Amino acid sequence: MQGLPKIIEHRLANGLCVLVGEVHSLPIVSYQVHFAAGSRYERPGITGITHLFEHMMFKGTQQVGPEEFSRIIQANGGTLNAFTTTDNTSYYENLPADKLELAVRLEADRLANLRLTPETLEPEREVVRSERKLRAVNSPFGLLIEQLFALAYEQHPYRWPVIGWDQDLKNLTLEDCREYYRVHYSPANGVVVVAGDIAADEVFRMVEKYYGPIPSQTHLRSAIPKEKPQRGEKRAVFKKVSQVAAFFAGFHIPEITHPDLFPLQNLCTALSAGRSSRFFEKFEKPGKAVEARAEVGYPPFLTMDPGLLQIYAIASPGISLDILEKEVWEEVEKLRQEPLPAEELTKVKKQARAYFLQAQETLFFKGLLAGIYQVRAGDFRRIDAILPNYEAVKAEDLLRVARKYLRPENRTVITLQPVSQSEHEELGEVE
Amino acid sequence: MSAGSPSRFFSLPPVSSSVLKNGLKVYVVQRRELPLVSIHLVIPCGAEADPSGRAGLAHLTAEMLTLGTQKRSASQLAAEVDGLGASLSASSGWNSTSLHLFGMSEDCQRLIDLLLEIYTESTFSPEEFEQLKQRRLAALVQQKDESQIIADERFQELLFQGTPFDHPVYGTLKSLPLLLCGESRDFYRRTFLPPGSLLVMAGDLDAEVCFRWAEDHFPSAVQGSQGLGPEEAPLPSLSGVRTILVDRPDLTQSQIRLGHIGIPHAHPDYLAFEVMNYILGAGGFASRLMRRIRSDLGYTYGIRGSLEPRKNSGPFIISTFTPTETTFPCVQEIFSVIRSFMAQGAIDQEKEEAVSFLTGSYPMKFETLSQVAYRIIQAELHGLGLEYLARYPERISTVSIEDLLRVARTHIHPERMLIVVVGRVEKFRREFEQLGPVEIMG
Repeated sequence: MQGLPKIIEHRLANGLCVLVGEVHSLPIVSYQVHFAAGSRYERPGITGITHLFEHMMFKGTQQVGPEEFSRIIQANGGTLNAFTTTDNTSYYENLPADKLELAVRLEADRLANLRLTPETLEPEREVVRSERKLRAVNSPFGLLIEQLFALAYEQHPYRWPVIGWDQDLKNLTLEDCREYYRVHYSPANGVVVVAGDIAADEVFRMVEKYYGPIPSQTHLRSAIPKEKPQRGEKRAVFKKVSQVAAFFAGFHIPEITHPDLFPLQNLCTALSAGRSSRFFEKFEKPGKAVEARAEVGYPPFLTMDPGLLQIYAIASPGISLDILEKEVWEEVEKLRQEPLPAEELTKVKKQARAYFLQAQETLFFKGLLAGIYQVRAGDFRRIDAILPNYEAVKAEDLLRVARKYLRPENRTVITLQPVSQSEHEELGEVE
Repeated sequence: MSAGSPSRFFSLPPVSSSVLKNGLKVYVVQRRELPLVSIHLVIPCGAEADPSGRAGLAHLTAEMLTLGTQKRSASQLAAEVDGLGASLSASSGWNSTSLHLFGMSEDCQRLIDLLLEIYTESTFSPEEFEQLKQRRLAALVQQKDESQIIADERFQELLFQGTPFDHPVYGTLKSLPLLLCGESRDFYRRTFLPPGSLLVMAGDLDAEVCFRWAEDHFPSAVQGSQGLGPEEAPLPSLSGVRTILVDRPDLTQSQIRLGHIGIPHAHPDYLAFEVMNYILGAGGFASRLMRRIRSDLGYTYGIRGSLEPRKNSGPFIISTFTPTETTFPCVQEIFSVIRSFMAQGAIDQEKEEAVSFLTGSYPMKFETLSQVAYRIIQAELHGLGLEYLARYPERISTVSIEDLLRVARTHIHPERMLIVVVGRVEKFRREFEQLGPVEIMG
């Protein structure tokens, strides 16, 4: 396929996996390190530690002072950041190709020599609590989505948010961070990806030089509990000050390696991608909903363990949420009763192909695709099957997965009920 | 460790350009790595031309173009675009309105035909207009729950009070209900046709074919026009610190904006200001504000100083958020960082690192087709020309340490800043009164 780089793999003796995709269109590279460390490895009491620890990785080593990592990369023309998900923690630098070695050296340094001190932990704990307020507590629907996962999952760690509960953030200790670093940040638990204007051999030499001496430690990680099949609809109400009423629903669906995700993605596209989609025509265009969406993450953002397909609708002012929700389920039910017309199937397959190619415009995404598939699905080669898998979907597959997963018994629904400021206060503090 | 040496040679992607007889400027950038094309038609007229009390007219008019043509209803048009796996958007900024189609190169001809159809054959159906207005109004009601947006809107509204820039480009709950379909159609006829418009096509396409197509088709599209845009109005400035507190008692964290009107993109000091502001507030962890407010004090997850590049003077804004209890200390610390910077200026190492970042990361601003098109459009609309894009790294490199202190002292005014805070006002109102009179908004 035009534009998709061939990925070459190399493995170091300590178990570190290295993937390189050469792309020579601009003199830049994306350097990424993905660790199999996500909130799925946490336990109650230390929720949010994966993400807090990601912040601590910028707090310096024996040789590099706190936050100096960022300053040095930027001073060499690079941009950088990191993100934590349920399944992986990823660090990246996008920078001029001739500065790649700097990124390799600094990343290897913090993997081997991170300094964790009380002086750097305390302000960072408050930074993360501020981030939690931004993303969840003070955002219009953040707490609602947290409630959805907390209700849909009873045993699996996806039931708590990646950013963690505020009570846990307040209680995490330096010792918890040290333990997390020791158990999860080992070369054998990481995947290095380089996409861009550089020869693969050159990358392997650099990575061997800086990561080769880091010993791999194997620590037993606790088994992750499996979620039992849901046996009936679950519902809850969440009250807060809001201009609008809304509902957020989740249906349990399989993990990243499962072929059913492709037809499920196509169903979501038919429901809400673009202005010819069913939800737009039925709910948004005539002003019943401010927004109505059906979503499964796009590759590579599909979960390692069985995830949730989310459907949500925000009612327009003056529209009854009960009626809106009922009509949304009627639309979903149609997908379980009648096959998608041939023309619509052709459309959603073309959309899937186009969106996948559009995402390939950046080296950063090309790297993410390989790195995250390697971590979450165990093999980056699965990305070669993405387009053929979309292409192979038939109308009967859509009908089958709609019937299998979009059942009311498999559904969890949280509704947002707007309340006045005084009622909001009577309900207690949010955190 | 100091800044690195300049990175490997980077040159701008080759841009072919031509001016059609009707004044339309056409730019083509050929890039064949992916089978994609990005097509932008840009009209040099935007929300600054909204008549008084009719905020949102340009933006609404732009979207009306995509809601039905003489050949296709809104639904048929949407089906055509989605059927190509493409995306279509239409929106107005302050000085321009853009139609953008992004799709696969195998459909290039259909995409450019569609663009022309949308641009010249739109029907302005009254029914579509009413539905669009209702959708926009519902979205604005929902937006009242977004404290970040409230803070941004209030700040800009108060900063640019009495000028064409004192409303959101997408209109307000007050202005949108007043707008009429006929008014939108007239606005289109008066302002949306060349000369001075730009057509930018980037991607897996043939430059010659693109030019030929534009030459053959666009002349017939022009029905006559007049370049429109209001006379540049004088912009207001404050005589002291003005504090506005917007009460949202349900919030546990305050949104903070402070700043004033800055300088236009084409101002001779703009690049020196960009280097200076990297050190003060735009450089992430390399910036003084982030180091002090986040790393030392843990007051916030993020803080940023930005000067929006506009044809006219854009706002210089410091934006952050912090838990209710640290709201006032956070504002005090921001002032303290600004004043200390203005007293002492930057050190050589900071300047070198800022220059190195801005020049070294420059190629990344040309990675996607839309980025390339956007750079060309911005340079042309802001009166900078394509040469600006080519010479940017070289010009950034000539900024001196003295320039940084001079532009900070000339263009930053802590003594007459506007402060807007959205949050639990009763918890910090008294503290803010130390700074002068405080106005409370609901």
